[in-house]
Amino acid sequence: MSTTEIRPKRVAYYKGCLASLSAKELDSSTQALAPMVGLELVELESVTCCGAGDIHEAEPDYYLHLNARILAYAEATGCDMLMTVCNVCTLNLRQANYMLQGDSDLLARVNENLETVGVPPYSGNVEVRHLLWEIAEGDGYEKLKEVAHRGLKGLKVAPFYGCQILRPSKIMGFEDPDRPWSLERIIEACGGEAIDYPAKIKCCGFPIIAAREETALGEVIQPVEQAIEAGADVMVTPCPLCHLSLDAWQQKLEASTGREFKMPILHLAQLVGVAAGLEEAELKFKRHIVDPRPALERLEV
Amino acid sequence: MIAKHDVLVVGAGCAGMRAAIEAFDAGADVAMISKIHPTRSHSGAAEGGINAALGNASEDDPEVHAYDTVKGSDYLGDQDAIEILCDEAPGDVYQLENWGAVFSRTDDGRIAQRPFGAAGAPRTAYAADITGHVLVQVLWEQVCKRDIPTYEEYFAWHLVENDGRCQGVVCWDLLDGGLKTIGAKTVILATGGAGRLYVGTTNAYSCTGDGMAMALRVGLPLKDMEMMQFHPTTLAPTGVLITEGCRGEGAYLLNKDGERFLKRYAPNTMELASRDVISRAEQMEIDAGRDVDGNVLLDLRHLGAERIIERLPGSRELSMTFLGVDPIYDPIPVRPGAHYHMGGVATDVWGQTELTGLYAAGECACVSVHGANRLGGNALMETITFGKRAGAHAADWALSHTTVEVPESAERDAERELAALLERSDGERPWSVRDELAETMHENFGVFRREHQMVKQGEIVAGLRERYRSVLVEDKGEVFNSDLTQVIELGFLLDLAECMVVAGIERKESRGAHARPDDYPERDDENFLKHTYVHLVDGAPELSWEPVRMTKWEPQERKY
Amino acid sequence: MGAGADDQMGTTGAEVLMQIALKIWRYDSSTGDRALKEYKIEAPEWATLLDCLDIVKDQHDGSLSFRKSCRMMICGSCGMRMDGAAVLACKTRMYDIAQSGHIPVISAMGNLPIRKDLVVDMDPFWAKFKAMRPWLEPGFERPEDGREYRISQERMNVVHKEALCINCGCCVSECNAMESDPEFLGPQALAKGMRFVGDPRDGETVERLEQYNSEHGIWDCTRCYFCNERCPKGVDPRDAIAKLGAESIRLGIDRDMGAKHAKWFVRSAETTGWLREEELIPKTQGYVSAIKQLKFGASLARHGKVRPVPIPHTAKDVNEARNLRKLVREQDRQGALGHVQGEHALAKLEHGVAEESLEEIYDRPGAAPRPWLPEAEEGPEA
Repeated sequence: MSTTEIRPKRVAYYKGCLASLSAKELDSSTQALAPMVGLELVELESVTCCGAGDIHEAEPDYYLHLNARILAYAEATGCDMLMTVCNVCTLNLRQANYMLQGDSDLLARVNENLETVGVPPYSGNVEVRHLLWEIAEGDGYEKLKEVAHRGLKGLKVAPFYGCQILRPSKIMGFEDPDRPWSLERIIEACGGEAIDYPAKIKCCGFPIIAAREETALGEVIQPVEQAIEAGADVMVTPCPLCHLSLDAWQQKLEASTGREFKMPILHLAQLVGVAAGLEEAELKFKRHIVDPRPALERLEV
Repeated sequence: MIAKHDVLVVGAGCAGMRAAIEAFDAGADVAMISKIHPTRSHSGAAEGGINAALGNASEDDPEVHAYDTVKGSDYLGDQDAIEILCDEAPGDVYQLENWGAVFSRTDDGRIAQRPFGAAGAPRTAYAADITGHVLVQVLWEQVCKRDIPTYEEYFAWHLVENDGRCQGVVCWDLLDGGLKTIGAKTVILATGGAGRLYVGTTNAYSCTGDGMAMALRVGLPLKDMEMMQFHPTTLAPTGVLITEGCRGEGAYLLNKDGERFLKRYAPNTMELASRDVISRAEQMEIDAGRDVDGNVLLDLRHLGAERIIERLPGSRELSMTFLGVDPIYDPIPVRPGAHYHMGGVATDVWGQTELTGLYAAGECACVSVHGANRLGGNALMETITFGKRAGAHAADWALSHTTVEVPESAERDAERELAALLERSDGERPWSVRDELAETMHENFGVFRREHQMVKQGEIVAGLRERYRSVLVEDKGEVFNSDLTQVIELGFLLDLAECMVVAGIERKESRGAHARPDDYPERDDENFLKHTYVHLVDGAPELSWEPVRMTKWEPQERKY
Repeated sequence: MGAGADDQMGTTGAEVLMQIALKIWRYDSSTGDRALKEYKIEAPEWATLLDCLDIVKDQHDGSLSFRKSCRMMICGSCGMRMDGAAVLACKTRMYDIAQSGHIPVISAMGNLPIRKDLVVDMDPFWAKFKAMRPWLEPGFERPEDGREYRISQERMNVVHKEALCINCGCCVSECNAMESDPEFLGPQALAKGMRFVGDPRDGETVERLEQYNSEHGIWDCTRCYFCNERCPKGVDPRDAIAKLGAESIRLGIDRDMGAKHAKWFVRSAETTGWLREEELIPKTQGYVSAIKQLKFGASLARHGKVRPVPIPHTAKDVNEARNLRKLVREQDRQGALGHVQGEHALAKLEHGVAEESLEEIYDRPGAAPRPWLPEAEEGPEA
């Protein structure tokens, strides 16, 4: 099927907190890339933070309602899919979705509360999927192969999945949580070389990076170190929280170990964007703490 | 001797932990020995529930519970012990709940009770289908609260007999290696049963009758050893247990034609007849060719998904994991499997054996509350009530006596055996002896017993004992030498097998779990309303008889 | 759920054998020698990993050490790693692996010292367990009639999952936080803690939560969800830890930085809707600590990740979010109950949902015959 025959898929787009602020580069790259891979984004506006693991833990009833509200507004756009660009948002929304779809009493109660505050009720008809899943297979993947014309020219890319795009697998369920393949497939489709290393499915430490920094740094160092040892030029991650850990906190690793890492971290949409020929105005690499441009230029990508 | 205590409990399952808690609360210095971590004990695999006449599901009375138990035992149970069990059961169950046991609840918030085999009223208190697990957890919690020292992964090997008393236990330290002797004023055996004698068994690998064999080896009698319960619903081929609770919730047993065949064997109680009756019925259906690959079918389909998931999730998971069968859609193929030793070390109603200072409680003991057949749910109850009683009595005795003397020679026997086992550099590996024992016991001493098969089994066991004398322990190391302990366990099993066969041959009647359809198909109260006692005299088993202790109930025809 | 492709296996006891190979990490703690050894064996098609290990030990190498007991997923003895992921050996059917020709690597559980081969030293595990004071501390109310406490099934369901724990260690083996901080109490101990915090008969909820809010307690969990993933019994320790966090916040035990971090997310949602990112660190760690990290903050500012003056980025219709908070706070799903309310639906993800009627089940192709009762006649005597 050629590019022209696949009609763009209209999806509700929930960017989450970080893509709205500290990771604006993720939003700009995603919005620029989406039409190229056959996605028409309907940006949700009357939404809030999904609560991350924090509201989920501390105020679980509020977490459920915030996410039900996001799902309700997504459903109101007429789309049957809500697309996310963050691991944590994906887990939170999918879990809330299962809770509401699987318990009609709970759904009724939540809908009553939503209606009280002026939110349309939710019928349970939205599926939550990460951009990663959309372009790792099916039509999205076909489009990806076509648009990644500039290619990565053999760039060595170490994929970092992090935790919550894989686990708990009964909620996420896209791929084998111990042997994921989606990032590797995308890297290769873009002309890069996927680098393997053990810590690619381990935790970046972000949830505790403020409250338990030492413990978190003990986690962050593992993927960074291993990717360097395995010869990676850059790393790529589908989660802006992992990105923050790996990129912004990398300097703290350097401070505590006395070693230089200088490992650039790319958002998924940026990696594909590079291969698809997006410009710096859209990619916004200057916002990264560890600038990826030298690594990319060095390889004349 | 590395330490000494007032009370030393060997085995840390429900009976052992309950005894230790009671002894501690009575002020004794108590410790437990266990060859596995306490929460690994096989009590935790019990599923369906624990019996007590709480009266939460319907009108009930300890006397009815006692009658059901007496009848269930095919009148071989000692009625004074049974009355004590049933009287004390409700209080003991409330005690467990007050300690925090997570029972399932009725609509009015009380402990939920379900119907169980051969019970006149629904009195089996349960926690979904993981009751044993829940009890092991609450007992372990109470042990931790009291900080009762436990010699974990110490393998008890020999009892120390000195001056007419049991004064300690010689152990092999499984984790670190080495012989270690622990002295005590009293020793309570709570080591469970010996299902590993059979190839299809619900029992864990650790159920090798250690305490029964140790008691036998110091000259104590084992009572009613021929009485081995075969649980009707176990998974082929290994014998993993599917709880009676399934039938308590209403499951059917079908043959290959879908017929609820129990109508022809136990028309009144059907799937809730006593276990021996059902196991025999199943075996007859299988022998008559109405089986499905050697099994009958346990049908839960009509219970509905919701009930199965709420009340029997463990059974569903076992069936799906081991057979790939989802009971919501398909019946579970089941067959009889060796499950429970009604027999064991002979004790009185306080758990005392004939040897001063030595007690036994739980499955390894025979008080006897189960006689020739045990009711489902009564085993857990026995561990609690008689574990408690043994703990109380042992503490009392220990606190009124002062000395513990372990002679130098106590370890010598163990040292000699150890050397003999470890110094061999070739020989038969024990697994072939072990597997042959299990297969032949299954074939010749199973649900149905026949004279010529039992006699043949006696010869087979003798042959295996001979081969055992030269088995090879490959691991010569100190740390976690389970190769060594598994061989010691095999020795225990062979001793017990010998006793069981001797008792089985001599009981010339059919009673409870001992069924002799060809030569002695009827129960013979005139000649055999008595217990078998087997003890070693000069290394060979000798049989004697003891009368049944009756209080209220005269033997009657036992129909279900 | 682990069954092989063809499940008409072994029910007769007649054994169909398969070829399978295992690579096992051997370890001798007295010499420190480690070695990866391969064993090729023949095992019945229904064999689990535990059965295979028994065959190796019996017939190939008697010195191989591992723990085992029940072989039916209830005692918790046989936790070990297969290809780096903790499993119960007795639950792991090997048919598919044998068919695929893959040779799995078997090693001891992680995060615990290894004594020998697949046997780990469980002392640190039990020490953390005991540190939780894992026994009921009854409150002042006792049952009046000397019987049981009267509690509804619904109320007891709060700890239903935590009570399933068999102490196998699979969760601890994989805990990312514990790997980085070995003193972290860990998923098993904290799940056990929740078993008591959620038990209405326990009277020391506040004392427990104070204790579990320690440096290596609740807020040390990194939320990697490995524990949920590995647990063979469906305990979901991560969710138990979340319940502890919820109860802590509900009862005002919230001085820990982790609690403050969480509360800031709540505050953000009910004020601006979006996370007030720039204030997160000072609100979590306090302004003194935040000031110490000026250099770090400056580097973030240089790249535009934070703005020098945090201007709230307010979501559209944020009043809805504010009102929702007020509304839910008045309702009866506070604290751990907010987590428990979702368990019924989420359990369906594990159990599956069976929606067929009984007739449909009986009529499935290949279904077993329907049950029927014979005429009441005397059959063979039982």
